[in-house]
Amino acid sequence: MPLDTSSYSLALLRLDGRRWNELRRIHAQISTQAAVDGSSYLEMGNTKIICTVTGPAEGRRVGGGGSGGEATIQVEISVAGFSGVDRKKSGRGDRRIFELSYTIEQAVQTTLHTQNYSGSTISINLHVLTQDGSLLAALINAATLALIDAGVPMSDYLCACTAGSTTNTASSKGAPRPQAALPGLSSLDEEADDPLLDLNGLEEQELPFLTVGTLGASEKVVVCIMETRVQATRLEEMLAVGVDGCKRVRSIMDSVVRDHGKRMVDEG
Amino acid sequence: MPREVELSNNERDFILGALRQGLRLDGRGQDVYRELEISFGEEYGVVDVRLGKTRIVARISCEVVAPYPDRKFDGVFVISTEFSPMASPAFEVGRQNQDEIILSRILEKAIRRSSALDTESLCIIAGSKCFSLRADIHVLDHDGNLIDTACAGLVTALQHFKRPDVEVQGEKVTIFTAREREPVPLSMLHHPLCVTFSYYDGGQIALLDATFAEEQVREGEIIVTMNRNGEVCQIAKYGGVAVDALAILSWTNMALVKVQAMTKVIQARLKEDAERRDKDGIAAELRADNDRPSERPHG
Repeated sequence: MPLDTSSYSLALLRLDGRRWNELRRIHAQISTQAAVDGSSYLEMGNTKIICTVTGPAEGRRVGGGGSGGEATIQVEISVAGFSGVDRKKSGRGDRRIFELSYTIEQAVQTTLHTQNYSGSTISINLHVLTQDGSLLAALINAATLALIDAGVPMSDYLCACTAGSTTNTASSKGAPRPQAALPGLSSLDEEADDPLLDLNGLEEQELPFLTVGTLGASEKVVVCIMETRVQATRLEEMLAVGVDGCKRVRSIMDSVVRDHGKRMVDEG
Repeated sequence: MPREVELSNNERDFILGALRQGLRLDGRGQDVYRELEISFGEEYGVVDVRLGKTRIVARISCEVVAPYPDRKFDGVFVISTEFSPMASPAFEVGRQNQDEIILSRILEKAIRRSSALDTESLCIIAGSKCFSLRADIHVLDHDGNLIDTACAGLVTALQHFKRPDVEVQGEKVTIFTAREREPVPLSMLHHPLCVTFSYYDGGQIALLDATFAEEQVREGEIIVTMNRNGEVCQIAKYGGVAVDALAILSWTNMALVKVQAMTKVIQARLKEDAERRDKDGIAAELRADNDRPSERPHG
């Protein structure tokens, strides 16, 4: 029997029954693949990612480097054809995918202590199994976990999540305010804008959102990507909610790593 | 693969040392743009934009094609970028460099995804004919801040361009040349402009309109695209050193001021050009007497 969602909008619940500041279920494992140096499997809601890390190892391309005494980072993302709603073969030269991998490469570069590994390569392979929103955030989190598993020294967890902003349709639908028709009072409606945390695929298509990645629990932003048009005044709360969400993501990721460590010790 | 000449350590230290004292190599303030120079070609939609030594040419062209089957009511709009080897030794013909992909992605997000151009207005007959608009961005000289320059050039070119007028009678479409009917400007919904902040010392120092040398020593950059109405169309901070969330907010506020100033410059130049093209105004166009010397010798 399908879930009765008719009362959701009255209770200000979202499509999937969450409140505005709730994360989706994050489930993660590390050391899932035996053949590589580090690996992780991460689910953020229905977005599922497998990440493998090889290195720091001697790079394949010799001579072309000279990157100033730092390790080179290679990121490759493969999106499975069955990951989306419609089966799509993404070409090799997809710029959107390139942008995602470029972002991860740049973000990881400053977090890892790459100066300790001059001349070597760290390659990060990400496989997207299912997409349901917050793709970049999930990719970053999966990469962080795999890098931790690989034992590459880094300054802190790089954790990411998305934050959106919604015009509060629930309240305006429930009780249509007559004064909203007056243009001068439309600012009243502006204030009814609610930020949302961790958007799913449907919400992402409808609402303006940004992906924010922070360094650990600090409020320092490493990645901030927004692709949709939004009033500048709404940016502040979106960022605040996003940064707060990152802190929670960090604590979840931290517990995953600690549990894994404990299990390793227990099993000897 | 040719590479850019890297700055020496001395040059790096010098630039950074000067920045920490609040000085830039060319004597500008930290939040001052180089002068935006815009000139137009003879045709509509050809724009040459210079920001200091950085120079790009944007050119808009259009043709009539069949629309994509899944977007029957929309015209086609393509942005293509080309980095010419004359701009920098690091650019090669035919091979896309990383900066180029990022530039085209930013333009794509800033202008296409924010629906600055109303693509529905390019539709002639739904499902069978539409205008296909092509914007070519050529980078002729590279001295930093390509993204802001390219975005300004593209937005100016789109406002400058005029497409041929069409008339639809049933299934029959007539496209008029510029002689037959005055071409019509594109319908733009808003005019987004990019502002790139280059930062140093973990966000303590933020520079606007960094030159090439300043770009090479920066810790990271954040590209904010806004329009003059205060809407943020796009923000991109791809990694780089971490900065405070509050700094990002204050930078977007600063970006708005710059975008408004730049929009003013662009509008003024567009108006100048329109006046230059339309020398004597509508009165000259409509007058009945022909151009011939009035004091013709008799007999």
